[in-house]
Amino acid sequence: MSVKCFRLKKIVEISYNYSCMGTPLKKFEKRKYSKFHQVNGKHALQKKCPESFVPYKARKRKGGKVAFFNFELAKEMGLIPKNHEHEMNGDLEEKILDTFSIVIINEYDIINDIEFPEEDILPNHYMATRYLQLQHPNKQGKTSGDGRSIWNGEIRHSGKTWDISSCGTGATRLSPATHIQKKYFQTGDPTISYGCGYSEIDEGLATLFFSEVLRKNGHQTERVLGIIEFSNGISINIRAHENLLRPSHMFNHLKQGNYEGLKDIVNFYIDKQVTNKVWTELPKTQKAQYRYFVDKQVEVFANLSADFEDDYIFCWLDWDGDNILMDGGIIDYGSIRQFGLFHHEYRFDDVQRYSTSIKEQKEKAKLIAKTFIQISEYLITGDREPLANFNDHRAMSKFDEIFERRKNENLLKKIGVATKEREYLLQSQFKFVTDFRKVFSYFERAKSAEGLHTVADGVNWNAIFCMRDILRELPQILLHRGSSIERSEFIDIIKSTYATYDDLEISSYRAKKIDEFQSLYWKLVSKLSRKFNREESDTLLQIMMRSSVINKYDRVTGDSISNIVEKVMKRRPKLGANELFQIMHEFSEYQNLDPDNKRTVKVKKSEHSKMMKGMLQIVREFREGI
Amino acid sequence: MNLVLYSGGFEKENISLDRKLLELADKENPSITYIPSCSYDSEIDFNDFIRHYRALGISRFIHFPVDIDFDETIKKEAFLSDIIHLSGGNTYYFLKHLRRKGMLKELKAFVKRGGVLTGLSAGAILMTPSICTAGFPEFDKDENEDNIKNLKAMNLVRFEFFPHYRNSKRYDSELIKHSKGLDRPIYACPDGSGIIVKEGTLAFEGKCFSFFQGKKVKIN
Repeated sequence: MSVKCFRLKKIVEISYNYSCMGTPLKKFEKRKYSKFHQVNGKHALQKKCPESFVPYKARKRKGGKVAFFNFELAKEMGLIPKNHEHEMNGDLEEKILDTFSIVIINEYDIINDIEFPEEDILPNHYMATRYLQLQHPNKQGKTSGDGRSIWNGEIRHSGKTWDISSCGTGATRLSPATHIQKKYFQTGDPTISYGCGYSEIDEGLATLFFSEVLRKNGHQTERVLGIIEFSNGISINIRAHENLLRPSHMFNHLKQGNYEGLKDIVNFYIDKQVTNKVWTELPKTQKAQYRYFVDKQVEVFANLSADFEDDYIFCWLDWDGDNILMDGGIIDYGSIRQFGLFHHEYRFDDVQRYSTSIKEQKEKAKLIAKTFIQISEYLITGDREPLANFNDHRAMSKFDEIFERRKNENLLKKIGVATKEREYLLQSQFKFVTDFRKVFSYFERAKSAEGLHTVADGVNWNAIFCMRDILRELPQILLHRGSSIERSEFIDIIKSTYATYDDLEISSYRAKKIDEFQSLYWKLVSKLSRKFNREESDTLLQIMMRSSVINKYDRVTGDSISNIVEKVMKRRPKLGANELFQIMHEFSEYQNLDPDNKRTVKVKKSEHSKMMKGMLQIVREFREGI
Repeated sequence: MNLVLYSGGFEKENISLDRKLLELADKENPSITYIPSCSYDSEIDFNDFIRHYRALGISRFIHFPVDIDFDETIKKEAFLSDIIHLSGGNTYYFLKHLRRKGMLKELKAFVKRGGVLTGLSAGAILMTPSICTAGFPEFDKDENEDNIKNLKAMNLVRFEFFPHYRNSKRYDSELIKHSKGLDRPIYACPDGSGIIVKEGTLAFEGKCFSFFQGKKVKIN
């Protein structure tokens, strides 16, 4: 068997380099991209969940060029061979444009009898999926969903199925504009913005940079597969993820009392999680499967709300279950932010309403989790009980339990405690860790006396302490001195640029907290040293090494991403798809804060492009912002 | 005054210089402050640095990048350490930020107080009167992207240092040319070798060549 495999591999290599059995190289090059053919609008959801989408015919859209292509992601998805160079070529660009440069033939086109050349019309239907959205007039999700996106299809590779969807492919009937103004819009109609069905390249770039950084740091997220650019900054932003379903894809059916529609989509989701081997212990009976579904979803949403809080990720979660994927993945980066400090009073101003704050995310995540219980019970019993009936459901207590554990785990991770040591502390020293978390939170949540004020896109009340700085510097100094630091030194390290003179006063309460923080820190070192039979200096050294990576000085924030995108946009005419990929790759690697990531510095510092240097400067400038 | 100037190379090539450094520090478990030439990715270099010196028995380290804002507490701690190491990198960029943050004076004072200052490549060049050796040869020079005009460095020694030297005609011709205009020697060291300055006395570790007023002499 192995010999056969080797021979096959050899043939592939030979044919890759020259030609195979008379196949011209050009033809072979084209064959390398044959998997793109599978992305043709067809998706299993179309057969299994007929009530979950609106089908659209589509046609080729001309005049686009590939502004960005994610070679790494394309390899993971099997779209290009593993040994493909990270360089665009004519065949690949042609394939990308053939597959993704499309626009739907929408209701406006049909009503107005607009004709398109037959050869431009694609054979299959593409779907705009239906889901609940709180900003829609209809609060049951009867009219909402993908307003300017369609799903390109799905692709299976290495035991995983990937969903692919594109934003900016035309105005669908599910956009808020259609229902507010009670008319269908022509794609690209300049009289409306969001409802015109187009997206813009800066949205794609922001999603690209943000999602790649968050993914490298362990977060589930949609990813940008490619960006096709048209004139005037218009683009099609192609995104991919193993499962692009959102809770809101279920919540619309639930709100409408559409039992069959709900059952179809829940079953579809369960099947996909099993096929993708995310869920490995699915029970046999349907009733047990729905309960398992609840347990898994509760776990996902409890963990994600703890992770978002601890990584200062602002993601507007709400009762509609939009803005988040079923598996906890981040989607729609328009309002996503990562704060430098715990700016827990920040709210995004969405014209008609303010968003939730980062602290309120947990309750919203819990509400979403509770809705999964409601769904499960509805599917099991056929009765749609009020949501409040599940306030005391066992899964709700489980949510709190998972949340608390994850919060403790995240704190230990941030401090720099390695996996095995974390496990020990979580198992045997839970109360100790919780106590540490309390004093940690005291500093993390401290706010400026200056109070609430407006910022560019909402309101904020500045946090004043940078926990990353104290976690990075404290172990070094403790190890160096062998004793605790002065209270004034503690404040000197932890203070952020947002802190005013008054904010930094060391009151008797704050003094007590500083002492408590250091005392618990020493105890942590001592406990680990005793348990793992090491010198305290060795434990501190290990923590210090990990912490220097985890809490490195430069860490992106939402503001820095916006500014980086602006910078990239200014340089865009000169930046081709290859350069953009290199920049994205280098930038996301630089923002990888995983201390276990075996990374070496490959590029000589002097060789950094001006572009990267400028980006680093931006990251630094906005490191404490929102 | 105690200094160690490393040319460069892999860590294991510098072991004998490291041992000389520990002799200079003359202390059990001395502490080391690591000052990277550039903070970009310096935490990775810092961890490599720790791993290397941990094997030599050192367990106390401070990471002190100077091209970003820092607090007074970490700065104070850095200058309380027994050894300060200036890393390799772009010499112009490093000089710019050391000067901007007033660190050249602080480092000189540290040396005067008896602290051991070490430098690798760019870090070593910074201990000499000027960083002119970073600007040649054409095929292996640092880019002066920040257009630094004042090349004066710490002036702790009375020679110039040329790291990563290769005993070849093309290096020699450049070094001979530059040495003609200088009233002090240029000591050129290949990777793995270096210079130890102990209380004003010079010792050479590994191969070392002197280029002085147009002439090349092998001195070790």
